[in-house]
Amino acid sequence: MTGHSASPRRAGETTVADRHWLVWFARCGPASYLSHLDTARALQRTFARAGIDLALSQGFRPKVRFSLPLPLPVGAAGFDELAVAEVTAGAPPPSDAVRALRAAAPEGLTPTRVRECSARVRPRPRAARYAAEVRGDAVILAAEAARFAAEDEVLVERTSPKGRRTLDLKRYIGDLIVEAVPGGARICFSVRHRSDGAARPQEVVDLLAGRAGCPTVVHRLTRLGVSFEGVPRDEMSGREE
Amino acid sequence: MQVQSTASGRRCPSGEWPRDELEDLLARVTRPGRYVGGEFNLRHKPGARPRVVLSYPDAYEVGMANQALQILYAGINDESAGSAERAFCPWPDMADLMRARGVALWSLESQSPVATCDLWGITLPHELTFTNVLEMLDLAGVTLHAAARRDDEPIVLGGGPAVANPWPLAPFFDAFFIGEAEGRLGELVEALGAASRAERLEALGRVAGVWLPPRDDAGRAGPPARRQVFAAFSSTMPVTRPVVPVFEAVHDRAVVELMRGCTAGCRFCQAGMWYRPVRERPADMVVDAARQTLAATGCDEVSLVSLSSCDYSAIAEVVERVRALRPGLRVSLPSLRIDSAAVQLARFGAGQRGSVTLAPEAGTQALRDRVNKGIDERQVLESVEAVFSGGFTGLKLYFMLGLPGESDDDAAAIAQMAARAADLAKRIGRGRARLSVAVSSYVPKPHTAFEHEPFAGEAVLRRRQGLLRDALPHSVKVAFHDVAASLVEASLARAGRGSDALVEGAWRAGARFDGWSEHFDVRAWDAAAGSCGVVLGETAFSALGAAPWREAVDSGIEEDFLKEERRRAAAGLLTEDCRGGRCVSCGVCGDGVEMDVVA
Ligand code: SF4
Repeated sequence: MTGHSASPRRAGETTVADRHWLVWFARCGPASYLSHLDTARALQRTFARAGIDLALSQGFRPKVRFSLPLPLPVGAAGFDELAVAEVTAGAPPPSDAVRALRAAAPEGLTPTRVRECSARVRPRPRAARYAAEVRGDAVILAAEAARFAAEDEVLVERTSPKGRRTLDLKRYIGDLIVEAVPGGARICFSVRHRSDGAARPQEVVDLLAGRAGCPTVVHRLTRLGVSFEGVPRDEMSGREE
Repeated sequence: MQVQSTASGRRCPSGEWPRDELEDLLARVTRPGRYVGGEFNLRHKPGARPRVVLSYPDAYEVGMANQALQILYAGINDESAGSAERAFCPWPDMADLMRARGVALWSLESQSPVATCDLWGITLPHELTFTNVLEMLDLAGVTLHAAARRDDEPIVLGGGPAVANPWPLAPFFDAFFIGEAEGRLGELVEALGAASRAERLEALGRVAGVWLPPRDDAGRAGPPARRQVFAAFSSTMPVTRPVVPVFEAVHDRAVVELMRGCTAGCRFCQAGMWYRPVRERPADMVVDAARQTLAATGCDEVSLVSLSSCDYSAIAEVVERVRALRPGLRVSLPSLRIDSAAVQLARFGAGQRGSVTLAPEAGTQALRDRVNKGIDERQVLESVEAVFSGGFTGLKLYFMLGLPGESDDDAAAIAQMAARAADLAKRIGRGRARLSVAVSSYVPKPHTAFEHEPFAGEAVLRRRQGLLRDALPHSVKVAFHDVAASLVEASLARAGRGSDALVEGAWRAGARFDGWSEHFDVRAWDAAAGSCGVVLGETAFSALGAAPWREAVDSGIEEDFLKEERRRAAAGLLTEDCRGGRCVSCGVCGDGVEMDVVA
């Protein structure tokens, strides 16, 4: 634990020179089991513990200016996740901030880079790459992946509180590869984020594992990288390393 | 297209986490975050001995709100060579999977089996968690009955307020700690250093406050253990680096315990007797603790907790100084006393929001006097007015049904008071104010003035709930405590030796998470009661007037004082709070224990 705790600015206070940060972080280990909301809260608390004040919106009920542009499913690890934060003028320089944030973060949440931008940034996800393990025969799953690749259209039903919707997974899924791992198979795939939405990792697993006749429970889901629109080019994540 | 390496060389600093068998479970249950730890301020002490596991027999999110657990966790990890880890009761979906897969209960810090620890300390908050204790022992693979435990099994130690009568759980525990353990942690840890289980138990038995239950039905118990009072409370900093959950963290409050004990003397209240005498921390210490806790937790609100925080001698000064720690910092006081609520709200209400709970407890003056809650209806209504004119939008009025001496008219009077409060809410709250009423069923508890009073019983409680429901205005939302659950509490609260059969029978019939309405199933308890020859709602394995708890527990409260309080209750006489200066000889003070209030 380092630093003093944050003192959030109250409504009505002036907001001169708020600074705009992109914060990359890894979420793994116990933190993989956090929901989107809990991840955001844990990161905000990490800022407070590090003594870095997040800026507040104006209005009667001010909110911290902090967001995670692409939710990571519960149970998933992610190694190149992005947060958008606005901090007050007194925040430390980015290199010091990374150290302070790391020291203040809980196990499994690791801030890795902070980039200061000259103006407010609104990243929009373009594509994300995932790896998921299933308990099934890799040979059969690989055959199903090949079948998927050969198809023109793969329709699935999505049910949500808003109703039912039919999706063509072929529009959203890029490469789809299966490899054998001890105890089952790993499915690697990329998801395209389009203006009308994206496929969910569970839908990809449901399709492939369902067709292969193996359990559809997803194990060790990992988001390997995400590419965003609206992020300065030199700071794009999700690139091959 | 082939992905070269899906992991891309990226490894979690937590290592290969979690191990495969746990990962498999976590992938299949609701709310896996309950079982993984990873909180702020978590302590890791790999290899440290003795390894203690601390448990609260309920779901993770309930257990993590328990202050005693935070105190013991910090005390053992930060001030002893040993380590303290945590484990909570797995939710039924997880428990069923663990059994199906043969996975034993693990601790959050090391993910090691709980069964391999040296000491398993389980906090016992109330009777409706008792079946969860058996559930946890079973899931951990620890032998259910202490007498049959092997040498390599942990010592299972019970603590918390429900050890006020340990009989219903006596055979499942190796030992009980009676009272506040902070001052005895060093001795407890040291006792675990003995070579064999028998020697460790013997050493534990020598620590003040430890009671060793008999090991068989006819066996002799150790002498009653004197309830331990942490006399150094006022000179000891509270926990300033608490474990802060990252999973479904609803309350964003840094908690500072500014005072322990309450001597207001409500005759139904066990906590008011159990935590005597009143001890206050100095204002400087409270403010410094608030500052440190805010820094360590990243919270944006401070909650100054105790049984009755507004009674703290320097409350106005402390609230002002804590608020000054940071611009806009909110300070909350969890309990408001009706007799001074209007003044308190005017002083401390600023910056608080949402809703407030006030507890008139009973609907008529006679009954309020009987329970030593010496407030009148005018004070209640003034408080209601102060709540709504202070900007709060919600008010909950809390009452009990089934208090000794209560009549149907007393029950109906609750509706009349609520109706008057609802009128005020409508008038002052400008359409935004919501009034609700919560009604619990009173269960007489050991070590109180009403310890020998009969429980009202199912028929009376149901009739009065009906009367009250019919008499309340439609605009008032009312919630009643489940009478069936109160029957279970009543059977166990004053139960005697042998009552463990009822708990074990209910657990074997499927009872667990009895405090959760979605899981409570009275049929399991009925079945167990039937086979034990007990009528649910009647005290199990003991008779009215007997006090089996005194064989195990010396609370320090004089029996004569309780008898006198019972007499005064029947006569409708009030008893003063001793913090005003007049000792009423409850018996607690003496032998290094005394009231300690801020000058
Ligand atoms: S012994 Fe007297 S002063 Fe001490 S808690 Fe009891 S009534 Fe109060």
